[in-house]
Amino acid sequence: MSNFQTKLSRRTVLRGLGVSLALPWLEATGTIAKAAVAAPTPTRMAFIFVPNGVNLEHWTPKSEGYGFALPATLEPLAPVKDDLLVLSGLTHDKGRANGDGAGDHARSASVFLTGSQPRKTDGEKIRSGISVDQMAAKAVGQRTRFSSLELGVDPGRMAGNCDSGYSCAYSSNISWSSESTPVGKEVNPRLVFERLFASGKPSEVDKSQQQRETLQKSVLDFIADDAKRLQSKLGRNDNRKLDEYLTGVREIERRVGTRTAKPVDVEVDYAIPDGIPGGYQEHMRMMCDLMVLAFQTDSTRIATMMFANAGDNKNYRMIGVPDGHHDLSHHQNDAEKLAKIAKINRFQVQQFSYLLQKMKSIREGDRTLLDNSMIVYGSGLSDGNRHNHDNLPILLAGSGGGTIETGRHVRYDLETPVCNLFMSMLDRMGVDTPFIGDSTGRLQGLSL
Amino acid sequence: MHLLLPKVQTFFAASTLAVWSICSALSFSADSFSADNVDAVAQQTLTKYCNDCHTGDKAEGGVRVDFLTGDGKLESHIELVDKIILVLKEQQMPPADAEQPEDADRVKTIEWIEQRLREFDCGTASRPGRVTMRRLNKTEYNNTVRDLTGLDLQLANDFPSDDVGNGFDNIGDVLSLPPILMEKYLNAANQIASAVVKDEAALSKVFPRKASDEKNLEEVVEVARENASRFAMRAFRRPLDTEESERLFNLMRVAWEANASKEEIIQATLTAVLASPHFLYRIEDDKPEDFVDGIRPLNDFELASRLSYFLWSSMPDERLFQLAGEKKLHTTEQLHAEVDRMLADSKSKSLVDNFAGQWLQLRDLEALSPDPVKFAAFDAKLRKSMRRETELLFANILKENRSILELLSADYSFVDSRLAKHYGIEGISGEEFQRVELNGKRRGMLMHGSILLLTSNPTRTSPVKRGKWVLENLLAEPPPPPPPNVPELGAAGVALGTLRQQMEQHRENPNCAVCHVKMDAVGFGLENFDAIGSWREADGSEKIDPSGTLPGGRKFNGPLDLVQILVEDKKTEFSRCVTTKMLTYALGRGLGVADRCTVSSIVNKLSEEEYRFATLVKSIVTSQPFTFQESGR
Repeated sequence: MSNFQTKLSRRTVLRGLGVSLALPWLEATGTIAKAAVAAPTPTRMAFIFVPNGVNLEHWTPKSEGYGFALPATLEPLAPVKDDLLVLSGLTHDKGRANGDGAGDHARSASVFLTGSQPRKTDGEKIRSGISVDQMAAKAVGQRTRFSSLELGVDPGRMAGNCDSGYSCAYSSNISWSSESTPVGKEVNPRLVFERLFASGKPSEVDKSQQQRETLQKSVLDFIADDAKRLQSKLGRNDNRKLDEYLTGVREIERRVGTRTAKPVDVEVDYAIPDGIPGGYQEHMRMMCDLMVLAFQTDSTRIATMMFANAGDNKNYRMIGVPDGHHDLSHHQNDAEKLAKIAKINRFQVQQFSYLLQKMKSIREGDRTLLDNSMIVYGSGLSDGNRHNHDNLPILLAGSGGGTIETGRHVRYDLETPVCNLFMSMLDRMGVDTPFIGDSTGRLQGLSL
Repeated sequence: MHLLLPKVQTFFAASTLAVWSICSALSFSADSFSADNVDAVAQQTLTKYCNDCHTGDKAEGGVRVDFLTGDGKLESHIELVDKIILVLKEQQMPPADAEQPEDADRVKTIEWIEQRLREFDCGTASRPGRVTMRRLNKTEYNNTVRDLTGLDLQLANDFPSDDVGNGFDNIGDVLSLPPILMEKYLNAANQIASAVVKDEAALSKVFPRKASDEKNLEEVVEVARENASRFAMRAFRRPLDTEESERLFNLMRVAWEANASKEEIIQATLTAVLASPHFLYRIEDDKPEDFVDGIRPLNDFELASRLSYFLWSSMPDERLFQLAGEKKLHTTEQLHAEVDRMLADSKSKSLVDNFAGQWLQLRDLEALSPDPVKFAAFDAKLRKSMRRETELLFANILKENRSILELLSADYSFVDSRLAKHYGIEGISGEEFQRVELNGKRRGMLMHGSILLLTSNPTRTSPVKRGKWVLENLLAEPPPPPPPNVPELGAAGVALGTLRQQMEQHRENPNCAVCHVKMDAVGFGLENFDAIGSWREADGSEKIDPSGTLPGGRKFNGPLDLVQILVEDKKTEFSRCVTTKMLTYALGRGLGVADRCTVSSIVNKLSEEEYRFATLVKSIVTSQPFTFQESGR
């Protein structure tokens, strides 16, 4: 199919479904758009996870503050260097064994956004903690159609054991909506697109739609009622599962009830994805595109993305690395392996840079979408060989609506919790919480 | 050419995480590593490192462990024993600031306790354990919709992947329901409902009764009510109570009052049922009044679901519903008869795909891609054929009710032309799989391309991975997890020789040897097969030496010899392992110490009945954990 046809069919489909990508705050013509410009633009947050740690030698800038030189791994970020912070020295203490033995990879993912020690179990009673994105989603997510968006590139593992007695749930999820519920992620771009846009509100409300809504509401009432009646018949663990069900139903009820402003019909040239693309890079970029689209249309303000699952062992033949990533990460200080790891790190950073540049290209009032965002990129492991969870590789891009002084490398005292960064971000999202995970306060030095 | 520190590092680095080498810089007393003194070592270790704090009434944390070294019976401490093994394995005890036993002594102690557990008396009352209510996983959802409506829509393929726990994707505690999935369930329910009303055959399967007079409103209503209740009964896999029928009917009435058409009313009803927790979860009520001493037998409908999801990954069929309705299903004779019937049904293919596919990790093959430069002969088609071969062997044992030991020892297999060529078997053409007699170099699934590929690195074989895979998946003797800090091997000095020689040198460190001696031997025995399972006599310029010595001193020479020994000497361990895996899968929960009795009695039964496949399945479905539920309140 030619490019032209793809675009044409996209528009046809979008209009055919009565859906348009609504950009209420854009400088578009029309009264609604003007009204929206006056309102403050929303702040978004996103978190991107990469597995197996990094080669820190090529990651950490030599100097601190402004004007640092980008090390080899971060070079692809040159076009957005002034829009980000390199944060060194941060720690996830709850990623450490703390008496639980092996399993640093599983912990590196489950601790990444929760700052909580995962319960070591392969099946029975999985427990972590609520993650920062979900905490924000609960507090401010009701302002958008989707309270949050969870994306990934690889599906969870389908058999076997993921890491030393930890259920695969810990390795393949970073978002946790409660201590026992990993949120799951969408890896198929087509499905993300359909979810975001194809089931939107038709622009005209007619009689048959009212009828449909009545029916839909009775169905929702019926199943919610089913669940509530069931509660008394079940014990603790079963009820925990049922809570997940009820939460899901409530989320749908909320969305059905949310009336978006009359959509502004804008043209965004984006071809509807027709499935999971063959190439890893293309797949990653498509997921990035969709995250941007979701932010741009204010479908959600909160997103997470796993570029790969914890302990991932895929090869990177497309950049000349035929070995498995995880196998390599146990580099034993072998120079050749370290170089290959840096190569993988750089490749992933390239995709991150793609995302940031795209966000930077989108104007929102006086700023850009990137300015109005806080995008964390990093790993829950520092060095894959040592399996350590201190001095983690963490980047923070976007200025959170002009509240963060970007363009610097900031080094923190060792053992400063990553969760302190989350506290500072939650502040900027307007989320009030006494703590998250093992936070001890706010992260100093984000603004000057 | 093998001059090389770097090479040694490369090798071990690559295998460190997949295969934790339990090496330690600690010194090691040579006399503690001999098979005879396990008992003494364990007693000494426990006495020296544990009993100080954990003895008598004032034991630390109220946890006494001195019963292990004294006369105390394990039976009265069964749950505690599980925890003791865990804290020893994880090196949580002794506490970090206390004196630590040697790694090797620690391993011996764990082995000793596990051995005593295997011997312990099962006469005492056992508990069935609580299975957390299970959400249908993707496969089960697809199959259930297919059997419920006759439409094979495969809508769950677009659901997020189900998380895996205890090696399987049907574990109640691990299957969560995030909001995005609820959204998809509701959309899928809508899609199924609209597909059903558009398909005459599906509609008559779902709503079979028709009013004789469409104008007779009373009759139309009566028929609709009955159809809806019947459908909900099948979807919920149990009879509805009056209140549920009323509520369902009420939903139809609301739709009718909103001027919905007949199709729309049916659609709304189907959607509600298919999005209900009673459909999406397999619920076993936990009402206090039903339980005596915290346990209750499952009712016949619950049993029907347990059976059908175990053997078919789908809902019960009409016959199971009928037997359940007549309360005839729960007798041992009836359960046995149903197992025979269900295994003979083509739906038992699910047991191959889902149980064997996960137990043997055949599903993971999809993600593997050997180095295309070194293994030019490999492609996706060969990978598919490899997987199929192992599935067909398992399916054959299932269908013909053969011994499960044949998985290891089968002197026949199933190949298409592609795989036959790969194996050097002549005279096979076409893409159809055919049964062939093996009379040369291969026997059993350990010599299947699938397993050999699964346990290799992309560029070469990994004897350690192969050995570990056998220990974990066939013998249920997984090597313990690593000590917290695996030291680097850099100081090992210059190593010379083949991969095998390098590894042997590594094992000269007795603390490494304690686990690697087991893993490596099995792996060496399979070295005649390269990383994609082709036969080879040499690795590069080095001739392969496929001989080895198993722990306990049994020597073997080559893969056939090795497998022979596994089948002869290790059939109990293998049966125990298969039983453990299958019971986990059947129950949808991980097994605890309390389940050891169930496993042991099934293993005994297997040895009495020639290790037949159906014996395994029948023993599971009549076992206490399968037929009873424990209260989770």
